[in-house]
Amino acid sequence: MKKLTEKELEQFVHAALRSLPDRKAPGTLEARVLAAVERQAAIAWWHKGWAYWPSAVRAAFLAVATAVSGAIVFAAYAMFAGLDTAAVMTDVSERFAGVTQLFTLLQALVDLCRAFLAGIPPLWLYGGLAMVGALYASLFGLGAFAYRTLYRTP
Amino acid sequence: MHTTTQGVTTPTDFTTFMRNYQNMVYSTAVRLIGNETQAEDIAQEVFLKAHQHWDNLKGSPTAGGWLKTVATNLSINHVQRYKKRWSFFSDLVHKGDEGEEKEVEFAAPDTFFSGMDSGERRVWIERALEKLPEHQRVPLVLFHFEDLPYEDIAKKLGVSLSKVKTDILRAREALAKILLRSGASHEKFQA
Repeated sequence: MKKLTEKELEQFVHAALRSLPDRKAPGTLEARVLAAVERQAAIAWWHKGWAYWPSAVRAAFLAVATAVSGAIVFAAYAMFAGLDTAAVMTDVSERFAGVTQLFTLLQALVDLCRAFLAGIPPLWLYGGLAMVGALYASLFGLGAFAYRTLYRTP
Repeated sequence: MHTTTQGVTTPTDFTTFMRNYQNMVYSTAVRLIGNETQAEDIAQEVFLKAHQHWDNLKGSPTAGGWLKTVATNLSINHVQRYKKRWSFFSDLVHKGDEGEEKEVEFAAPDTFFSGMDSGERRVWIERALEKLPEHQRVPLVLFHFEDLPYEDIAKKLGVSLSKVKTDILRAREALAKILLRSGASHEKFQA
């Protein structure tokens, strides 16, 4: 037996390893990559990350985000600087009169529903809720059973 | 243009590019990971990234280097998922292994592989490499195949410099022992 120093061992192993050619990639690799490229191409850009967005959309998004951030900063500054909030609120309510009307309509609908529910006996209400729960559980069970028996069984 | 089954077109250049580099990328991954199936997954991921950066990569003289770096980093990330287990066992076995240069008793290198043809010899070395434990194989491959210095390997793997040196030394010894067996007895490789 010959004794090798660490340096000699390093040189020997280096020579042995570097003499190796590249290993042959599996024949399936190319098809797999192309299929994955295909799958990625089929995904719409808005379902992908920021890096995949078209340049114009990215530019528009940046512009809108900057404008919104600027407006928020300005509004915060104006409020802290003692802005006449009553005047602002009046102005806003005038500009959004349509929204106020919509809100009033929604409020009326909610009141109507509340009055209708108040007229129903509590027993009916709880019974109805129990029935909805039971139907949901039954459908869930039926779905799970169908999945296990029809889909997962080859 | 290359048209795939669903009619999506991939630049022919990219297919050629992939054919040119797939062996290199796969070799890098399989030698670091030590598992052919996982290495194929990593190689696929590397080429997907290449496709995403295709505008910058096509015609670039450094594309091969880019691919190798990405393959190395993805493989290391893959291996690092088991880092805790790896560090635990490695530290357990090799604590206190540092020291002065030691001498290792082996048959003289020229007796290795005697009577083996080069193809058989390559298979032996590859299989011997695969048989090494992960905490030895990864730094060994980074040192000898990727030409990374010890300091960079320690940084990449997030371990101490002394541990990297010890692991690489132990890997060389283990590899040489396996190769010695191949040269001495010409036995079949035990998986």
